[in-house]
Amino acid sequence: MPNIREIRERIDSIQQILKITNAMYLISSSKLKKARNALDSTEPYFYKLQETIDSVLEHTPHIRQMYFDRRLDIPPEKRKRGYIVITGDKGLCGSYNQTILKYTDKALDEAPELDNCYLFVMGQVGRMYFQRRIKSGKQAYVDGEFLYTTQNPTLYRAAEIADIVLDKFKKKELDEVWLLYTNMVSSNVQEARKLQLLPFERRHLGKSEDGTLKKLPKASFVPSPEKVMDYLIPQYAKGIIYGAMVEAFCCEQQSRMTAMDAATNSAKDMIKELSLLYNRARQSAITQEITEVCGGAVSL
Amino acid sequence: MSRTFHLEIIASDRIFFQGECEHLVITAIDGLLGILAGHEPLVTSLPTGELKYMTDGEWHYAAISEGFIEVMPDRAVILADSCELPEEIDIKRAEEARERAEEMLRQKQGIREYYETQAALNRAINRLKISQKKFR
Repeated sequence: MPNIREIRERIDSIQQILKITNAMYLISSSKLKKARNALDSTEPYFYKLQETIDSVLEHTPHIRQMYFDRRLDIPPEKRKRGYIVITGDKGLCGSYNQTILKYTDKALDEAPELDNCYLFVMGQVGRMYFQRRIKSGKQAYVDGEFLYTTQNPTLYRAAEIADIVLDKFKKKELDEVWLLYTNMVSSNVQEARKLQLLPFERRHLGKSEDGTLKKLPKASFVPSPEKVMDYLIPQYAKGIIYGAMVEAFCCEQQSRMTAMDAATNSAKDMIKELSLLYNRARQSAITQEITEVCGGAVSL
Repeated sequence: MSRTFHLEIIASDRIFFQGECEHLVITAIDGLLGILAGHEPLVTSLPTGELKYMTDGEWHYAAISEGFIEVMPDRAVILADSCELPEEIDIKRAEEARERAEEMLRQKQGIREYYETQAALNRAINRLKISQKKFR
């Protein structure tokens, strides 16, 4: 029979945890509401941006522009790949961080040379994870100066990040840039996704609906395609990074809410079970005492 | 009623405008650009500036900050960081932002910070300019 005091202590400690998880549930649900609003108002922009850029690229004449440079002079296995990974700042949000980190690991495994991989990690959890891995020997270079939070995404922060990677691309410190983030498919379904940010690919032949190739008319660019692209690509990068940040933040809050709700429920279940045990133990202790008293009385 | 084309103005935080438009005037990199229905395909980027569009014979003004436009004969799409109507602009806030930016410009700064402050100053001045439009 378990000790009464032990059970009491256990129940108390579960109650403490329950308070924490419940509070976290409430906080994340209110944050989620805010994040959802942001997501709903940004999503049209995010999708329209991708759509428009696609159609702009279809109409772009052949140009020499630094962001289109596919670095063909460097063999594919020697190309330096940059990955922008968006993770959470805190744990306790179910499998959210795990999923995106596993996904990143997979992407890194696919890369031909780990030494040529550069990680730009947003969020405390991801940064710690990759720094720990460096110590264990298996490594991809992590930019230590890249310190950005994923809380409450702003366009300003996205612009700074875009600036950093575009700058590195221009200086040929990076040859490819990928963006890895968690996408919200529906409120219960999330998936990790990756998106190639740089270099830009130009499609001069679009596919029409019956699958045959069609030649698209070239649009005019004012004042010149190169000039326009100089402005347009940083703008695009900023928009895409911002959109991804908003998506990821919303996903984080969603999964934290679900996880904390589940934790609160199971804590309640445990308390129920334990109090049953506690009552039983107390009952039997009382019964035993009565028996002892009676036994004592008889022997007198 | 003149010919119209479909205009979409999408800011990063909302859909600003979606509908038929008769005439659109934008500030492109090197000057004003008027767009009517049946315009040739065109792509250009928009710095911080002013925008006006005509629906049902009436001009509407808006302050826009950095974006780009794609024009097709029957439609136009503008994607921008932000887009505001004159009456939405908080004049006091814009003025404060202008002062802050001017103050910053007096300090010694790195080249990147300098450009950023200048962009912020442009945005503030543009907002103030557009906010005057509603009194006309």
